[in-house]
Amino acid sequence: MGVIDLITRVDSICKKYEKYDINRQRDANVSGDDAFSRLYSAVEYALETVLQKTEDLSSETNKAKAVAMNAEIRRTKARLLEGIPKLQRLSLKKVKGLSKEELDARNDLVLSLRDKIEAIPESSAPVVGGWEASTSYSNIRFDTNVSDDRIGSEYFQPTGESDQFKQEYEMKRIKQARLDYIAEGLDTLKNMAQDINEELDRQEPLMDEIDTKIDKAATDLKSTNVRLKDTVTKLRSSRNFCIDIILLCILLGIAAFIYNSVK
Amino acid sequence: MSSDPDKMMSKADKMTKLTLTRWSADWRGATELYEQAANGFRASNKYEKAKVALEKASKGQEMQASPWDAAKHMESAAALAQKLSIWNEVADFYRKASELYVECGRAQPASDALGKAARALEDVKPDDAIQLYTDACEILEEDGRDQMAFDLYRACANVYIKLEKFTDAATFFLRLGVAADKCDATNSQCKAYLSAIILYLYAHDLQQAEKCYNDCSQIDAFLKSDQSRSASRLLTAYNEGDIEEIKKVASASTVSNLDHMIIKLARKLPTGDVTAIQMNTNDDLDEDDLT
Repeated sequence: MGVIDLITRVDSICKKYEKYDINRQRDANVSGDDAFSRLYSAVEYALETVLQKTEDLSSETNKAKAVAMNAEIRRTKARLLEGIPKLQRLSLKKVKGLSKEELDARNDLVLSLRDKIEAIPESSAPVVGGWEASTSYSNIRFDTNVSDDRIGSEYFQPTGESDQFKQEYEMKRIKQARLDYIAEGLDTLKNMAQDINEELDRQEPLMDEIDTKIDKAATDLKSTNVRLKDTVTKLRSSRNFCIDIILLCILLGIAAFIYNSVK
Repeated sequence: MSSDPDKMMSKADKMTKLTLTRWSADWRGATELYEQAANGFRASNKYEKAKVALEKASKGQEMQASPWDAAKHMESAAALAQKLSIWNEVADFYRKASELYVECGRAQPASDALGKAARALEDVKPDDAIQLYTDACEILEEDGRDQMAFDLYRACANVYIKLEKFTDAATFFLRLGVAADKCDATNSQCKAYLSAIILYLYAHDLQQAEKCYNDCSQIDAFLKSDQSRSASRLLTAYNEGDIEEIKKVASASTVSNLDHMIIKLARKLPTGDVTAIQMNTNDDLDEDDLT
């Protein structure tokens, strides 16, 4: 690691943890114990971040990302607006070493900050026609003057035809209920299939990775086997050589013994 | 060699210290001793000492330029800290393990380490858990493994729901939507959007729910989906103050296929007074303005 890399890393670490440096904080913010200035700067920083996000949003081409960014902006905006009343309360508090003019100016600062927050654009998409309330048709009239004697008479008595119709209706209703039940089951099945499909997509790169690793391991194993075989062969050949010499010596000994005994 | 873990520890400590006779630390020998000591302590249920031994073993592996083994030891130390309920250390150790995994270019284990830490802290320190989940997701995003982050997004959203921060949870579901969009996981994307809309409705924020629906409807995949139809029906029911329809949609199979936490919330819909909600469609229209 070079000196430049080292300095860069040290700088980045210092920057990361500079909020814990009390002396620096004291130098940067004279009224370090002033709650208003602390909260105000925090809100202002958050506001800058949101405005930056809105700028990024205008150039965003990925629609899904735009949706998430929109929600993030709206959420932050709501949170900042929630913090304004607290700022207003703090702006009225008297602080040591602060003139009356500065104290009055604080309230104006808060008001201008609120205006800035409310001015954050919420670029929501145009309403997609989908949930307008259906208007009821007013020209339909119900005939209410059905006389009582007609109700009492055989006017509503069941006939064979009406019974058949009722039976048919009941059958269809039962069938429909069963179909609904099947539809619900199919819906669950479809959802499970989609989930399985996505899970397979997730597992595929992992399997590929495992495959690559196994191939590498197999190659390593092969080369190790070859080297091992080579080593074993060498070892065996040297051992064989020793045995050969020993046997040769024994053979020479036997020959010498026979020669001596014959002589 | 003595099998007493305490003696092993002191011997290993000596091996890492420089003296007049020893000019360089013997990290290899020390690490082996630390590992053996850790196993010994663990066997005799002295988890506090085992944790310290594993920390030192991790340091030893790091000094030997072996970040993978160092990370493994850190994870073991974190697991022991979890057993001992030292929550600060749990987070720190898992974070350190994650950094070590990143150092050796392994995003997946790095993210897993942070995920484990977050799961451990979910009930004790939910805010820290959220931060850990977020970091875990970012690691995978940076490595282009968005698909592997789905469960982490859901888990984080669930923590937000437990804390009753429904807007934050909805925002996280929308982030899941972005990740799903990147890897063409249409089903997960649509589910995430419907979940976000349900969360806004549960928080009784119809305006946000409508804005969210309008934004999501810009995405063709969502617009053509069953989830979009369910969301549309829900919003219609809310605008008409039709409680029966809301309950009917909330118990439909499209909603039943979402996350269990979302299903729980959906079953409780509507929250608050639905009849009070009126559509202010014409309130902001100026009759004289012909543009």
